[in-house]
Amino acid sequence: MRIVVLGSSVYSETSCAIAAHLAEQGHAPIGALVFSTLNRRTLLRKLGQWGAREVVRYAQTKFVARGNGKGAELSNPYLRTMLSHGPRLFRSLREIGSVYGFPIVTCRDQNSPASISQLKRWAPDFIIFTGGNILRKQLLDVPRLGVLNIHLGLLPEIRGMSSPEWSLLNRVPVGITIHYMDAGIDTGPILQRFELPDVNRSKSLSDLRYRLIAFGIEKAGEVIAGLDQGTIAATPQASLHSIANQDSQFFVMHERLQAGAAERLANPHQASPVTMVNG
Amino acid sequence: MTGRITRALTEATGLLRRPQRTIPLVGRVVSDKLRVTFEQRHLYSYTTTKRASGDALNSLVRWILDAQRPDGGIAAYYSLLTGYSQSYPEVTGYIVPTLYDFTRTAAHGEEHEAVTAAERATCWLLTLQSPTGSFPGGVQGVTTQPSVFNTGQILHGLVRAATETNRPQILEVAALAADWLIEVQQADGSWSGPVAYQNTAHTYYSMVAWAMAELSEHADDHAGQRYRQAAEKNLNWVLPHFRKSGWVDGINLHGHPTYLHFIAYVLQGVLECAILLRRNNAIDLVAKSSWVLLRKFETNKYLAGTYSPDFKDGLRFTCLTGNAQMSCVWLRLYEVTGDLRYLNAALKMNEMLKQLIPVRGPRGIAGGVSGSYPVWGRYQAFRYISWGCKFLADALLLERRLLQGIETSEYEALPCAS
Repeated sequence: MRIVVLGSSVYSETSCAIAAHLAEQGHAPIGALVFSTLNRRTLLRKLGQWGAREVVRYAQTKFVARGNGKGAELSNPYLRTMLSHGPRLFRSLREIGSVYGFPIVTCRDQNSPASISQLKRWAPDFIIFTGGNILRKQLLDVPRLGVLNIHLGLLPEIRGMSSPEWSLLNRVPVGITIHYMDAGIDTGPILQRFELPDVNRSKSLSDLRYRLIAFGIEKAGEVIAGLDQGTIAATPQASLHSIANQDSQFFVMHERLQAGAAERLANPHQASPVTMVNG
Repeated sequence: MTGRITRALTEATGLLRRPQRTIPLVGRVVSDKLRVTFEQRHLYSYTTTKRASGDALNSLVRWILDAQRPDGGIAAYYSLLTGYSQSYPEVTGYIVPTLYDFTRTAAHGEEHEAVTAAERATCWLLTLQSPTGSFPGGVQGVTTQPSVFNTGQILHGLVRAATETNRPQILEVAALAADWLIEVQQADGSWSGPVAYQNTAHTYYSMVAWAMAELSEHADDHAGQRYRQAAEKNLNWVLPHFRKSGWVDGINLHGHPTYLHFIAYVLQGVLECAILLRRNNAIDLVAKSSWVLLRKFETNKYLAGTYSPDFKDGLRFTCLTGNAQMSCVWLRLYEVTGDLRYLNAALKMNEMLKQLIPVRGPRGIAGGVSGSYPVWGRYQAFRYISWGCKFLADALLLERRLLQGIETSEYEALPCAS
């Protein structure tokens, strides 16, 4: 299988973990295309959004390589096993590329003609999306099979943003879905969906997210193996709609509701004080 | 025409007569210009609480209390050019329920002030009724022409004042107004002719139907039945105006764009009427239209101040009143359907609106809601409007009630929940 990783930063832990995990499973990518987020507009926006201290921290995660010894700290501790390589931790796609022999190409815009040409030269069977811009049709059409996404919610019930939190509030099982991307938001054909075991073992909502990311990467390896062996086929979402006549897109959750989701995570059996969708 | 020219001249010469107003005007324009230039809205802008809802609510009600004129009516607006307007019967009427709702949550002292203001406002309204039962349109003194819409909006206040004070005299005035509304209602359920704005029928008169449905709950059986039928008749006339796209036809404001304020009026009137009349088909139509606007707000981080048919495009300024009304609609839809996405959108909308209320400034500006953001936008430019404060206060009061319901597990879905 010819796989390309599409990421938002060479230092993204998620992108690194996917590339390293696939390589470890015998499906090393043939290349990685990374979208450079270093631009004035993004930094100004984040300055207004988070304040100076958080912007510096953000810039560090995006542009500064961190310690790669075994004891180095990770934002997502559940990725440690995947990022471990002998005595060190992989902290950048470049390190993984040099070990497994694939090139890393950076671009300003994933949808630009230069990026599309690069992807066409690689002629991938599929691209695995780990973050970045909204993908335009001409990019989605490049790979032979499609662009894969790991969505942190069960499709088609929970599309869009804050999926783990909405799953908790709506009493939909928490899990991940591996699907092909199309022009809509999380509307592409589904390859497989997996429920996260022991959801309430998570200490917080961010801990739950970290667990889901690691779980998703692990399952992506299985799905890719299944695609390679021809044992997995995609199912269009239209045939799976469980919420009759309802738009299942969810949006970024307000902190007041997030507090409710956190409460639900901590006390899963507490009676629902509100009437939920599907609840 | 002469009246319009006089009004335009009065606005234009306002600063010459009171040059001290220049400083707040320039301050406001500069502040909004800086904000729209440098502040980039993004996905997480309104997901955290930057201003407590209680503080914002208090400042809104303070603005309303300050806008009460010596006659007891509430001014329509505070203009950055000309200051406070005359009392506005329509808004005075439907601000009364807001003041009473506020007293349920207010701290000691403020409660008394709000009740007194509501009672003074009601007393003033009682003096305005014509022998036919109608109330006049426009701000005080401009016209004596009876107006269906203003009568309906005043009816909201009269019904509430009657239930709060147990004064049968107020209920009699309300009944007389409602009888007049039935008398001038067309056979198809609409209101048109000389008693309607621009002599034509409007779907946003669903607000009048809502007032009739409200009154029906407090009238005796026979009268209640008549008011309910009139409300139902208007609802049946409005519903076919909903398109598949969620757009509502028949707002019919000739010479004006379709402001969000009027779209929200239709939705709010139909929704509240439908809840009272147990009409789930109407609730479904409102939910569909509201969902279109919710998606636009969540995706773009703002709602346009005006929309063209089928919500295809709009002018890029914000009609703050329309936004506050949509927040009320979403909160009520959450209450009826239980879909938390409505509550989520309303919390974010309220957060945005709270951030746009001036914390400081002279009387008339501090705590007020401008017609448009930025302040020079097309809807009620350079004015802080009393109905903007009213709707945002309503949204914050609803938010408080629903969140308390969640936190104390007291909330139950309404019986008509679909």
